[in-house]
This record gives sequence, C-alpha cells and structure tokens, in this order.
Amino acid sequence: MKIKFNINSKIEELEIRPDATLLNVLRDNGFTEVKCGCSEGECGACIVLIDDKTVNSCQVLAMSAASKKIKTVKGIGTLHNPHLLQKIFASTGADQCGFCSPGMVLSAYSLLKENPNPTEKEIAEALDGNLCRCTGYVKIIEAVRRTAQIMNENLISRE
Amino acid sequence: MFNENLKWYFPASIPKAVQLIEQPGIILHGGGTRILKTQSRSIIGLVDICNLKLDYIKQKNNLYHVGAAVTFGKVVKFSKENNCLSMLGTALSEAASTPVRNRITIGGSIKDFPLWSNLIAPLIALDAKVEINNGSSKIIPIEEYITSGMIKTKHLVKEIIIPEDEKIIWRIKRFTLLKFEYPIFNIAIKFKFNGSLVHDAAFVITGVKNRFKRFNKAENIFMEKNLSEKLIKQAMKFIEPKFVSDYKYSSAYKEKVAKIIFEDLLLDIAGVKQ
Repeated sequence: MKIKFNINSKIEELEIRPDATLLNVLRDNGFTEVKCGCSEGECGACIVLIDDKTVNSCQVLAMSAASKKIKTVKGIGTLHNPHLLQKIFASTGADQCGFCSPGMVLSAYSLLKENPNPTEKEIAEALDGNLCRCTGYVKIIEAVRRTAQIMNENLISRE
Repeated sequence: MFNENLKWYFPASIPKAVQLIEQPGIILHGGGTRILKTQSRSIIGLVDICNLKLDYIKQKNNLYHVGAAVTFGKVVKFSKENNCLSMLGTALSEAASTPVRNRITIGGSIKDFPLWSNLIAPLIALDAKVEINNGSSKIIPIEEYITSGMIKTKHLVKEIIIPEDEKIIWRIKRFTLLKFEYPIFNIAIKFKFNGSLVHDAAFVITGVKNRFKRFNKAENIFMEKNLSEKLIKQAMKFIEPKFVSDYKYSSAYKEKVAKIIFEDLLLDIAGVKQ
C-alpha cells in the first residue's frame, strides 16, 4: 500500500507493507543514513527523530509513524552543509568508522534542543541508547560538550 | 513474522477502539515495542491509539491521571520538571534506554505486564488505580486488576490514577547483574509517617511467582510505631519472595538476593544502615 510520510520536512509517498518497520521502509527508499545494527532496539544505529523524540526505527512499525514528523540525520545537516554537531564530531575524531554516528548525532541533537548546557553525566544519559565499538565514548561526549559550548558562546541556533 | 493480511485501524474514539478489539486477532497498538518482539501470526489487526487523545498527564483533586499513550520518557520528564511522581519517575528512568523509553507506553506496559517491567512495583506501592474500558468504564486498584484476572481480558487501558503524595519516603531497586539487562526483579518500598510513627507502608516485589507479591504482614508490623532496626528484623521474617528458577539463576539465589536487598533498603530508610 502507498502511504504518505513526512521525512525531513518533505512529504514522501512510499510503498510499504503493513508489518514493515520504519527502519526497513527508510532504508528501502534511499534513506541509507539510517543504519541497521542490531534490529533489537539495543544499539541506536537506526535512531531517527519522530516528533522531535529519539526512537529506534527498528522498533517502530512504519504505519504508526505515518502521521508524524520523521527526521533522519540528513534532516539536520548534509555533507555540504553540515550541522555544527556533525562538524565537531568530525573534527574531534568522534566519528571513527561512522556507523554509530547518525544515531549519536541525533541523540545529541535532541539533547541540546532540550538542554543547551548539559553536564557530562547528562550527555552520557542522553546517549544511553547508542553503542559505539570504536572510540570508547570519550571523544563522543567531548564532541557534544564542545558543540554545546560553541552554541552557547556564539548563540547559534540548535536547529 | 506477522500475519500477511495484517490491517491497521486508527479509531478516533474509545468505544470504536473497544469495538474493534472485541474481534479475534485484533489488538491495541501503543508504542509497539512488545508487538514487534512477539510478531505473532495470530495478530490480524492493530488498533493504533494515537487518535484517542490519551497522551496526557493531568493533576486533579490530589490525583495524577496518566493517559495510556504516555511514554515512559514523558513521565520521566514530567516528574523532573514538576518535581512530582518521584518514585515512578525514577523507576521509569532506569528502564531500557532513552529512545526505547520514548516509545514504551504506560497502557501497553500495564496490559502486558512483562515480568521485568519497572512500572508495576511502584504503581502497587503507590496504591495506583487503573481505568479500563471494555464497553463500559471501570476504575480498579492495580493489585485487583492483576489478581482478579481482569488483566487477561479484552479491554482498553485508558489511564492510571496515582495519589499525589509528597510526604512518602520510598526506595526502589531494579536488580540486574548488568545495567542494560532486563531486571531479574523490581522492589518498591513506601513509608508514610504521621509524626515519627509509620502511618502507611507498602513492600512490593515483581518478577516473582504469580507476577508480584505484596508483603502485608511485614507492612503491618510497622503500623503506628517508630521505624527501628528491631522492627525491621521482625518484618524480615515475613518477607519471603518465591521465584521460579530459570536458565540463568536458581530460585534460591534470587530469593536470597531479594531478601538482602529488602533488608538493606529498609535499614537505609530507617537510617541505621551500617
């Protein structure tokens, strides 16, 4: 069946199965920035925002997201016009292999929108659903902290 | 695998949703996390509750009303921002991870009551009630909802109702060997004092045989008395949680650990912990 989705502020009419997960629908339709990790809701590689809240897209039946605003990591910044978080993830070496980065960036983005000046503990708590097997989290937490600092110093929008 | 003829329904009223779930194979969909885990082929229809306007937390006449579509994440945020529902907010903040908490709903967790749920022990300790609709509306104490078998019948959970109580002293424990595992059991302890005397108490554990156990005899030992180490020692004789052995842990192991944690939490509240 064909269903309309609001993905990255654009209406997309996609052919889906009624039992498809949002992860599969997104990836099958070219949104490959959403990564498939564990498919169990454990690793956070598939995180997207639904109505501004982080969710594991592997744990969401796509039909239930049809009337909601879905945002993937490309919805906050692109290769040629990256979000400050994405720039700092790259410049601090917080990305490494990059597989967990889309989920990490979206979790951090959601955190900074709600809490512009998070403590290290609050950053770690906000990233509790994201697993990284490369960096050991130190650089990731540092990247989020530095982004918050720069945004606050320069009054940069968190959008 | 889901049934290949799976259909979705998005009713705009509770009576319509209830009418739909009366049909065989049609169930409610809140966050969908549990449905995705089971993916039963017997499910032929999903009734999404997103249009039923059950995504609310309201305070009225010293009671909090939490709608079935409210996520764990929303309760945690509400609890922090409004400095209320602290026992429930803390318990739910320890469940799963942030993106999963943004998906698990109160209604689904009540209706399914998985043994590892962080939700039920605090709700029982807080004397919460649940409003259900199975053609007509009923408000039932959560303990009765589980023990009477009502939980297994076809109905829609509309909301939970929790007494506002700033004066309680509480402790909870979600016992796991690794933080990200499902808990082996959850303990919730509540005391309410009248001056220095205990006026009300609740000692609850979930994850045991028969899903939960409330230790009424142990609670009664403290009534209208000062909380003391001596009374705790007496009460511990009545705190005998019974578990089922599983492939990881024996029942004897779980019983011993649960008793130690109960005693530690009680001593902690009494301020006499060594």
